[in-house]
Amino acid sequence: MAIGVVAGIVLAAIVALIGLFKLMWRVAEPNEALVISGSTHKTEGLGQGMGFRIVTGRGTLVLPGVQAVRKLSLDLNETQLSVDCVTHQGIPLRVKGVVIFKVGDDLVSIANAARRFLDQQKMMPERVHIVFAGHLRSIVGGLTVEDMIRDREKLTGQTRMACGTEMEKLGLIVDSLQIHEIEDPTGYIKNLAMPHAAAVQRDARIAQAEANRLATEAEQAAFARMAEATRDSEILQAGYQAERDKAAATARQAGPLSEAAARQEVVVQETRVAELEAHRREQQLQADVRKPADAAAYETRTRAEAERDARISAAQAKARETELAAAAEATRVTTAATADAQAVEARGIASAKATRATGEAEAAATQARGLAEAESAKARGLAEAEAIKARAAALAENQEAVVAQQLAENWPAIVEAGAGAFGNVEHMVLLNGAEGMSEMFAKALTMGGTGLGVARQLLASMGQAPAPGTPSPTTPPVNGRIPIHEE
Amino acid sequence: MVGMTGRVTGTVGPGLVGEVIVRIRGGAEHFLAHPVHGTGRIPVGTVVTVVEYLPPRTVYVMAAYDN
Repeated sequence: MAIGVVAGIVLAAIVALIGLFKLMWRVAEPNEALVISGSTHKTEGLGQGMGFRIVTGRGTLVLPGVQAVRKLSLDLNETQLSVDCVTHQGIPLRVKGVVIFKVGDDLVSIANAARRFLDQQKMMPERVHIVFAGHLRSIVGGLTVEDMIRDREKLTGQTRMACGTEMEKLGLIVDSLQIHEIEDPTGYIKNLAMPHAAAVQRDARIAQAEANRLATEAEQAAFARMAEATRDSEILQAGYQAERDKAAATARQAGPLSEAAARQEVVVQETRVAELEAHRREQQLQADVRKPADAAAYETRTRAEAERDARISAAQAKARETELAAAAEATRVTTAATADAQAVEARGIASAKATRATGEAEAAATQARGLAEAESAKARGLAEAEAIKARAAALAENQEAVVAQQLAENWPAIVEAGAGAFGNVEHMVLLNGAEGMSEMFAKALTMGGTGLGVARQLLASMGQAPAPGTPSPTTPPVNGRIPIHEE
Repeated sequence: MVGMTGRVTGTVGPGLVGEVIVRIRGGAEHFLAHPVHGTGRIPVGTVVTVVEYLPPRTVYVMAAYDN
């Protein structure tokens, strides 16, 4: 029992010791420094009067309640810079950059930083920004834009010169200072670059144009060579094609050619045969036809000549005969004609005598007949003259009766002439009817009666004092009879 | 610290604040550097020897090799 208690006490004591140790033992992380204050300490490498202990990278025993332990981070910090500056030439710029810094790893730096930032570790970037902004303004104010752009070493050197000692005081080291961009509201940098850009652009265009020219030349040369090669190839192809065609044609013609040659041989032989045949036949004809024909011709000719001679002799004899016969006929005809003429003459004389006798007889008869007719005509004329004379006498004695008779004879013509006055009338309006019509006709016929009156009057005047130079126009037949009356 | 060699990362010269990087404390830290001798620039990349150390971060350096 006692052993158990003792063991328990021992165990509890061990546990308590371990807990106490855990409370007293502090370990520094790799990225932090322990700053222990509260008692005198001996720290390597540091002089007197520091008053606190710095532990990095290891553990240390700390008396709780007696000593205070604080941690200082050794991590990187960064601060963004955005500073409006004016350069040496007076050009406003906005410089943007970043500063990466940390607490220095040596005990001096840690001590400096611990004294300044232990409670304000969060505000460290802000402080650094203030420091760097001020320094950057002064640095940029001492530089030109060209320097800043071209001579970065100068910028960093000046930055180091300005900031290094200050950062030493703060126990900080600058791991990196980078200028991200330099904003240039006035366009100075752009204008600065413009001539170079233009020159570069010009060079680029020139180079481009030159390259294009060379490329085009090369292309054209290549095209030309391609065309040349194509031409050569086509020429060669055409040549080969021609050879092929020729060979093919030759091959195609070889059969017909040999056939033709063979046929030609045959034809030659046949011709030869035909010639021989013809020659043989000619010889045969010479023998069979020509010789007999010649003989026949000779015979015929001889016969014809003989016949001709005979015919000539016969014709000559016949001509002689005809001549003699013609002479005899002439003599005979002359004699006959003479006899005929004498007969005709005699016959004519007789006929003339007969004709004269006949004519004389007829003339006597005609004369007698004419005389008789003349006598009868004379007698008739005398009788008519007597009649006229008697009528004229009657007229002189009783004109009224003659005229009345003439009127009675010619009355139908007079009425027709009177009615002719109405022939041309298309429409006639009579106001007093049938009586008017008869009156109208009576008037028209009265005109004929008036003519009768006039004629009577004329006759009366002629009976009393006949005027020979004044013929009556109305009664020409009366006028015509007046000379007869006077005779 | 004195006697260590480092490399110039910012030109060191009279009138300039240069920068050297030195292997120290298991890492590499950079220090503000001034030339020991008043004349002559030490260009970037030159190996230098730390002649004097002024805490916290300033060193005086000279070229490690004469040429």
